[in-house]
Amino acid sequence: MTSSIPTNLESENPAIRTSSLAKSFRSNRALAGLDLTVPEGAFYLLVGPNGSGKTTTMRILLDLVRPDSGEVEVFSLPPGSRGALVRAQIGYVPEGSVTGYEWMRVGRLLEHHGSYFPSWDVKYAQSLAEALDIDLARRLKKLSKGETRRIQLVMALAHRPPLLLLDEPMDGLDPLIRDRVIEILVAHLSETPSTVLASTHHIQELEKLADHMGVLFEGRLLSQNSREELHRTLRRYMLEVPREWSGAPELNDAIVHRNGSGPEIAWAVWGEPEQVAHKLKDSGATVRNVTALRLEEAALAILAGKEAE
Amino acid sequence: MTVLLHIDPADTRPLYIQIMDEIRRALVVGTLEPDAPLPSVRQLAADLRVNPNTVQQAYRELEREGLIYVRRGQGTFVSASARPDSERKTISFQVAERALRDAYRHGLSVRELITAIDETAGRTTTPEIKSEGAAG
Repeated sequence: MTSSIPTNLESENPAIRTSSLAKSFRSNRALAGLDLTVPEGAFYLLVGPNGSGKTTTMRILLDLVRPDSGEVEVFSLPPGSRGALVRAQIGYVPEGSVTGYEWMRVGRLLEHHGSYFPSWDVKYAQSLAEALDIDLARRLKKLSKGETRRIQLVMALAHRPPLLLLDEPMDGLDPLIRDRVIEILVAHLSETPSTVLASTHHIQELEKLADHMGVLFEGRLLSQNSREELHRTLRRYMLEVPREWSGAPELNDAIVHRNGSGPEIAWAVWGEPEQVAHKLKDSGATVRNVTALRLEEAALAILAGKEAE
Repeated sequence: MTVLLHIDPADTRPLYIQIMDEIRRALVVGTLEPDAPLPSVRQLAADLRVNPNTVQQAYRELEREGLIYVRRGQGTFVSASARPDSERKTISFQVAERALRDAYRHGLSVRELITAIDETAGRTTTPEIKSEGAAG
């Protein structure tokens, strides 16, 4: 028996759980039955093309947007009725600009933001601002995209919340600051064990931190796995196939992505590697090489496979 | 003393395995000696820019293998009984496995690979490899 790549993640005590979550904006369907499970303590990468629903998902978790249907829980609380309590436990790096008065200076904004959180750590906020080269005297209306991102990061981390929602946290940052941000996140996780849900177009940059990945496409998950499971079970098989080869029908459901038309082809297949290799040999193919996929390669294979349908 | 561990994001081995293998390598080449302290989880995670949980996992596995031990409140150390020789063997099998897989991918036989290694070692211009090859 072979099966397609799982979208269902078991977790005894998830930090985030949504089921059949749906949301449309006028005629635009943002989420179409999202079943997201983020285990407590996970660093979960949410990837997918623009408009696949990443931002809407985060905004629903914060109760900044209400879903049309479906269920959502953050630390077992429904954001819809316990919004303030839920938001108090979340550090959020939103996509876009900081909300505040244009005339306000950055230092004042941080004070203002901190006043909403009893656990706001003034010293930590200062050291973060310093590490990120933030000029506290700047006025909000003058901020560049990169400056905005850095300030949002301080606002998300300095109250040491148990959950971080990072929406494209690396967007607009130069390479040096990107590396600094990774360093800061690593140190933060060492000191403050937390759950992270991060969306990104730059999987490589967050790849070394991630231990779970969900691939989102048109408002639903195409896959949702722990990194270990993906690594073990999704493999690329380099095959040599005979001229009149009729494929491996037994594996049809399990083939995530096909590349090449022969005599050499590369397939990404979901399944126990030994069993898959066995079935490929039975079909008449020669398995030349089997490799695990990096998270980015896995995400691309999953998305490319979907688009080829 | 600091240990330089190198991990490669393009490598398809899981990160915690890469960390374990790098510590083995440090033992074999002698940059880590029995009873030497290892960097803290926090420090190594920061150096390698990886999730602290990953370093924790690597240390846990190495402790299970008996290669390192934790002294509470003081840190993690290389076991006095860690035997570079046996780690040397583990590493040589790993290197051989990688070479064999690559050879097979290129349609080469084991024999062809071994012959090529011998010949290459004979005429390499890297002096360290050359002298080792001659000694072996």
